[in-house]
Amino acid sequence: MLKVEGLTCAYGKVTAVRDLSMEVREGELVTLIGANGAGKTSTLKAISGVLAPAEGRIEFDGDDITGASARAVLQKGIAHCPEGRRIFPYMTVRENLELGCFLRSDRDGISEDMQHIFDRFPILQERSSQAAGTLSGGEQQMLAISRALMSRPRLILFDEPSLGLAPNLVERTFEIIEQIRADGVTVVMVEQNALAALELCDHSYVLESGEVTLSGSGSQLLKNKKVQKAYLGG
Amino acid sequence: MDQFLQHILNALILGGTYALLGIGLTLIFGIMRVVNFTHGELYTFGAYMMFMFVMPLQLNFFLALILAVLLGVVLGAMIEFILLKPLRGADIDTTMLIMIGAWITMQNMEQFAWSGIAKSIDNPFPVDPLVIGTISVSWNRIFMFAVASALIAGTYALIRWTKLGKAMRATFQDPETAALMGVRINSVYIATFALGSGLAAAAGALLGPIIVVYPTMGDLAALKAFAIVILGGLGSVAGATIGGFILAMMEELGAGYISSGYRDAMGFLLIIIILLFRPTGLFAQKERVG
Repeated sequence: MLKVEGLTCAYGKVTAVRDLSMEVREGELVTLIGANGAGKTSTLKAISGVLAPAEGRIEFDGDDITGASARAVLQKGIAHCPEGRRIFPYMTVRENLELGCFLRSDRDGISEDMQHIFDRFPILQERSSQAAGTLSGGEQQMLAISRALMSRPRLILFDEPSLGLAPNLVERTFEIIEQIRADGVTVVMVEQNALAALELCDHSYVLESGEVTLSGSGSQLLKNKKVQKAYLGG
Repeated sequence: MDQFLQHILNALILGGTYALLGIGLTLIFGIMRVVNFTHGELYTFGAYMMFMFVMPLQLNFFLALILAVLLGVVLGAMIEFILLKPLRGADIDTTMLIMIGAWITMQNMEQFAWSGIAKSIDNPFPVDPLVIGTISVSWNRIFMFAVASALIAGTYALIRWTKLGKAMRATFQDPETAALMGVRINSVYIATFALGSGLAAAAGALLGPIIVVYPTMGDLAALKAFAIVILGGLGSVAGATIGGFILAMMEELGAGYISSGYRDAMGFLLIIIILLFRPTGLFAQKERVG
């Protein structure tokens, strides 16, 4: 479904991602793990079109989307739930969700999806006319995920969904992401919490200094000595 | 007391156009982070277009007003597209210098086109003012206030309820995430600049028939617009509206009770005082739009 070949991204002279290749099949949950600055976020940004890659090729459903605008990528069915939630703090919860479906014009479908989200997260309905910035961290994460879902994507990119959340909320967030995958949406997730990421995923890529150093199924990597040492604290 | 009421009424009417000027400037700064030095020239442009349509071309006054505002919108969009779009991501000094250059160029073009002699614009309203008890107000000013209020309300509605308005607010708060939602950032910028310019042109076109029109009229107007924006808090539309009325009130009362020679100084005096005590402006806890 998604194919990245030889991706290189740079900020000025600093190369963030070097010759990265990865593949995601329909219905899979794929994770990228690695330390800070390993190039995980840049990879997601290059896929979703907010960062223009220096080299390489990104294909979605066989179409070349390398260097396409964020709008064009979203139109193709890829939503990006960015790091740090990035909800619009001065807009209401409802307005945030409306921005999630900015490109859609099927009113009935939109209100159906909105209702679906409110059923799933009643707190968002309760606070629907409240400024999103007044929500708690966990609620903001629910909102950010819901906002990404509002575009009815076929592939969602999650960037550090557990960042800055209390342990019980981290677990809840992963449950939600599993549920999204169970609903048939393909997921690519960047995650610092390597244990959770590996347990959850079908396939994982380990990034170091912008390069893929290891890849394999979650269970394979969990058994890998190097991974255990570097990322699993043992 | 009667005199006081008269001053208050005058201030309300003047405040409407000040608010228009301030809202346009604050929107552009808030969303685009561009200090728009051409704002006063858009105001002058609106006034001259009004003059051109009403006097030499003998067009209907109301039609002339609509055309003047629309041309202001078009000119604003052109400035954005030609000057600002290529400068996206450039540092603020570069953008400021370009805008100062544009300001000087536009002012000289106005002088070239219309000469430095002040022009007056005829209006179709009855000569006798509306008199209520002891206070009186000209019909032209009533019309000006009504149109300014409608434009302010319209701008609010646009920002609050339309899709473009939501895109504008989202871009203001977080351009990168707005782009992820599918918002065309460049379109938001051009729309914002065009809207702000249209509001400035409207202020000029409304005030032109009341005062006289001359090439440097925009300088003081721009200065006041900046003052209003600072007063209300950068990026705050509500702040700019209220700031416009406060400035007008200050000028009217200062001119009425202290000295009319210091009319223009009063507002700035107020701003110095407010900034001493509330450096972020009256209404901004943080910078915001909406």
